[in-house]
Amino acid sequence: MHRVIYLVAFTLLFVACKEEEKETSWTFSETIGLKAINPIGLTSTDEGIWLSDGDRNRLVLVDGDGKVVSAVDSLDRPMHIASQDNKIYVPTYGNDQLLKIENGLAEQIAIADSLDAPAGIDIRGDELAIADFYNHRILYSDNGKDFISFGQQGKKDGQFYYPTDVQITDDEIWVADAYNNRVQIFDKSGNFKKIIGSDAKMNAATGIFVTETEVMVTDFESERVLVFDHDGNLKQELRQGVTKPTDVIIYMGDLYIANYRNGSMVVYKRG
Amino acid sequence: MKNLIAILMITFAGLSTIQAQQGMDKFQVQVDGLGCPFCAYGLEKKFKEFKGIKDVAIDIETGDFTFSYPAEKALSLEAVEKQVEKAGYTPIAGGVTRSDGTIEALHGKKNPVVANNTKTVKGKTMVSGNCSMCQARIEKAAMDQVGVQDATWDKNTKILEVQYDETMTSIQAVEEAIARVGHDTEHHKAHEEAYENLPGCCQYERIESKKQNK
Repeated sequence: MHRVIYLVAFTLLFVACKEEEKETSWTFSETIGLKAINPIGLTSTDEGIWLSDGDRNRLVLVDGDGKVVSAVDSLDRPMHIASQDNKIYVPTYGNDQLLKIENGLAEQIAIADSLDAPAGIDIRGDELAIADFYNHRILYSDNGKDFISFGQQGKKDGQFYYPTDVQITDDEIWVADAYNNRVQIFDKSGNFKKIIGSDAKMNAATGIFVTETEVMVTDFESERVLVFDHDGNLKQELRQGVTKPTDVIIYMGDLYIANYRNGSMVVYKRG
Repeated sequence: MKNLIAILMITFAGLSTIQAQQGMDKFQVQVDGLGCPFCAYGLEKKFKEFKGIKDVAIDIETGDFTFSYPAEKALSLEAVEKQVEKAGYTPIAGGVTRSDGTIEALHGKKNPVVANNTKTVKGKTMVSGNCSMCQARIEKAAMDQVGVQDATWDKNTKILEVQYDETMTSIQAVEEAIARVGHDTEHHKAHEEAYENLPGCCQYERIESKKQNK
């Protein structure tokens, strides 16, 4: 009987440890200084991490020390960028264009609808989503050509107040609803599903990154990045090294945060 | 001879540039609600509709927005104010220096004394706030009160000094007006909604007061 009790206790302890292992949090690793770059958006290709430098109208590829390796200039206020197959997708906020950049050459993506300050873009296969800032809406296409539009200015469920970033996942579209200080989730027909972060007292939810289990949100004015699970439970608040964050990505298993104000990236590791 | 022509051309080009610069009106507006690059670029974008705009500079920390515009187009401050509002923000102070040296104010800071039988007094009160944008908002809220002749808030000491006609207003009325725009004062606490609507950099640390909460 004692053996059975010991066995059960050991099993429970083992399961508990395994559960705890799943819940590992992010730990501050380092700050990478970026000389003369005030980053807005982040993405990665085989070459490394690309940042949009809105103040200087360019994209830059940086190395591990933050030095500029390559640059694409003459972009009118590039914002939250995305990438696929080493092509970079760029919304240019200043002239309402969407660009695809390959090997340093920019090609305009034609879109029938007119945008007013596109602030974020995401690409996933043939799917494309755009955060249309001044029109307070999201455009989504499942084939890259025919778009649906959803959302309007407001504070109710499904409405936006200056959306700044968007991400497509398997079944959903996630939106950084910046000045409603929350993240909204929609199905791929544009139907509202749920809200995350409305009770987290965010102040300008400017950038998001969604993984299979987590959603990271940059809280620009409060100078922190919040990590939620997909049910909206707050798992972690990252503050160390974070100053006016605009975007966040996972790259090579590490979490990178773009700091707009002092021009830097902060790296967090699982630990 | 070729050298002489070159010198003349350079001189002419230089004079033209100076003349062009002299022919520009210089606008300076303090904008409430600018907090992030999205806001700053958005304001810049909306002002691109004013063809000929130059030297656009926006400081998201202070809300200072400056630009030059050809004098011959006689851009009015009202048009500037409307364009700032169209971009989603609120102009709270500023003005223009016209190319001929004339200065116009967006919101005249000094309210005119309206009658001879005024009784001007000075008052002080504490007002919560953080930055230059707070200062502009607080002083504007005070100055918008009829009877207030001058209002100056110090962001370091948090003291607001007001000069007003006590037959027309009171320090309590000024405090109430300031609380309505989101700033706690010595005797009036701003509504939560007004406080939450302040830009992030203006969201000062609130001190709970039993007296104020009653």
